[in-house]
Amino acid sequence: MTQKYWFRYIIVGAVCLAVAIGVIIQMVRIQNIPGASDIMAMSEYYMGYTTTVYPDRGEIYDRWGRLLAGNETTYEVGLDLVNIYDPETIASVASSVLQLDYMETLAYAQIKAGTEGRYYIVLDDFVSKDQIEQLEIINEDYQNREVKRNQKRPSLSGLVWSAHTKRSYPEGDLASNLIGFYSFLDRTEGRGFFGIEEAYNEQLAGKPIEVYTTYDPQKVQDQIEVPPGASLVLTIDREIQAMTENVLDEAVDWSGAEAGTIVIYDPRDGSILSMATTPRLDPNEYWNYDRVFPRPTPFNRAVSNSYEPGSVFKVFTMAAALDGGAVTPDTIFSDTGYILVGGSPIYNWNSGAWGDQDMTGCMQHSLNVCLAWVATELGAEDFYTYIKSFGFDRNTGVDMAGEIHWPLRLPGDEQWFEVDLATNSFGQGIAVTPVQMVMAAGALANEGRMMAPHIVKSMVIDGHQYEVNPVVVGNPIKAETAETLTRMLVTSLEQESSVALVEGYAMAGKTGTAEIPTQFGYTSATTHTSFVGWGPADDPQFLVYVWLEKPTISIWGSEVAAPVFSEIVSKLVVLLDIPPDTVRMQIAAQ
Amino acid sequence: MKKKKNLLQAYQQAPWRVQLQWIGVFLLILVLIAAVAGVYLNISARSAAAGRRIQVLEIRISELKREINDLSTRLAAISSAGEMYTRIEDEDYVALNPLQVTYLEVPGYQPKTDTRLAPPPNVEAISSPILKPQFTISLWDWLRDNVWSRSETPVIIEEEVIP
Repeated sequence: MTQKYWFRYIIVGAVCLAVAIGVIIQMVRIQNIPGASDIMAMSEYYMGYTTTVYPDRGEIYDRWGRLLAGNETTYEVGLDLVNIYDPETIASVASSVLQLDYMETLAYAQIKAGTEGRYYIVLDDFVSKDQIEQLEIINEDYQNREVKRNQKRPSLSGLVWSAHTKRSYPEGDLASNLIGFYSFLDRTEGRGFFGIEEAYNEQLAGKPIEVYTTYDPQKVQDQIEVPPGASLVLTIDREIQAMTENVLDEAVDWSGAEAGTIVIYDPRDGSILSMATTPRLDPNEYWNYDRVFPRPTPFNRAVSNSYEPGSVFKVFTMAAALDGGAVTPDTIFSDTGYILVGGSPIYNWNSGAWGDQDMTGCMQHSLNVCLAWVATELGAEDFYTYIKSFGFDRNTGVDMAGEIHWPLRLPGDEQWFEVDLATNSFGQGIAVTPVQMVMAAGALANEGRMMAPHIVKSMVIDGHQYEVNPVVVGNPIKAETAETLTRMLVTSLEQESSVALVEGYAMAGKTGTAEIPTQFGYTSATTHTSFVGWGPADDPQFLVYVWLEKPTISIWGSEVAAPVFSEIVSKLVVLLDIPPDTVRMQIAAQ
Repeated sequence: MKKKKNLLQAYQQAPWRVQLQWIGVFLLILVLIAAVAGVYLNISARSAAAGRRIQVLEIRISELKREINDLSTRLAAISSAGEMYTRIEDEDYVALNPLQVTYLEVPGYQPKTDTRLAPPPNVEAISSPILKPQFTISLWDWLRDNVWSRSETPVIIEEEVIP
């Protein structure tokens, strides 16, 4: 190789080297010029974007898997200001399909992209699928339309829509008092209110995650999948819930009651089969809340409203006295029509004297004087120990939002007087919630075992279904006492020929009529009427609690609440496939 | 000395031959680089296409999930308790009195069981790999597992089974 060739090689090499050095210098310079950070930011913009992904809210099912709360697709319609070419057409179509104001939409569509940092404007949200389909048809029509040379083609370019989900309650107001609602109109701060939606808000909502979505298809496997919120299977049975609500609504209409509550509960495991109250709200239109529930109307009376239960409470007094050995079913009480306790006279509901009565007779005729005597025989200390063990001094812990309890006045408290022992024995001067009543009465129906009331049967989290185990919260009385009391209540209902009876089925139960305390004292003109009962008596599978507030047709629980109980049970036994007692005995004997 | 010089010259490559060798080496390197670049481009293009397809399918999955939600909700709405009551009334059905029911004992009848929306936590799904190991292990590992390890496996001599 001669010297002259080497020179040429050196020249070519030097040029290449100079270019390479120039490229490197330029690279270093670009990294450090004042606008470098902007260029980097712009490159990141083209590489991907970060968004907060809100998981789909978990669904809610009844115990047989029927959907009570789900999600449906809805759309946000907006303006991509960069790509708008025909503001008039967009305004015209938006006003005709979405019923938006033409002039306002036109003004938005004419905004220049980047003005005040605006590139996108939301025109409408929660637009239905049907409306989006109309927009798609119009858009397609415009794109395929043949136009003459000097004619302008109408364009919806810049009118964009994106799908998202919204909460939906396909059953309308069914079970709305226990489900609550989700404020879906607020897409970032929405949350559950009342009932299950509030109590399980965190589980249903899942965890929002900041997700970086890359445009680089090579990195697609790095994408994070956001798991949906937990789904809940409730203990309620939709058919039983619907039946309960229908019967309750008819009962409220028929009796002229201000409001009503019915709870059906399985005393064996504490599951709530149905819980109906009035009024009810369609959670699909939760913005009507203030109209449906004017203050201070509670959303769910079964957990958020305490009241003096009246004679229905006598079952606990009698249970305590039997369990504590103060009386037996055969103990005779000679009723003279009144009794003095703490210096105050106590009278019967009809102010009459009923003579000699055994304990079953006392329950059958609902004698205040007799039960006050029973309570004094038991003694205040034991009486309140039992009342506390039945859970009347605390919340039941039912898994719904808004549960309250009225503080129990106990001996030693400033506001407790000796006469309270007597009035409490027949359910006056003490306030309870319906859910407290069903939990406590459940112990009488379940061999003395008191089960925690609950509404969630199982949860589906990350693809696995977790069952909620029943919880025993106490054994306030012995199994024999529960059996004895159940027999007494069956007998008292049968001897009374109560309208609560259900042909073919032996039921244990007790009526309640409570005077309502006002600022001027108790009033007999308006009452709380109630009934608690369970059955079949030899093998209780359900417990029904009925409460009708201030009925006008009659003030007595035996005339208002008892027939409602009977109607509920006659329908419930069909839905639960419980044969009449005789058939059940035959099957058991085989 | 001269003899030595002649000897070296005799075995020295001709200049044009040296140039050709250099050109050959350069071209060989170039071809190798081109081949590697071609393979790299081919693989990266295919993986990018696959990645893009995954993105499209993921969007489709989201759409299908939304559609399933929609249809489930719509199904629940048209078979809701309120709708069913309306149908019952339209068809003049009457509520059943419990005493009108005839109960029969059916041997083997299984009553309704609890709703099962997902497997319980203790039942783990048996995971099967999407890709066979042949596609994920290195050639070296494959040779080690399938060739050398097989040759090292002791031969089991079947013994005569005495009954």
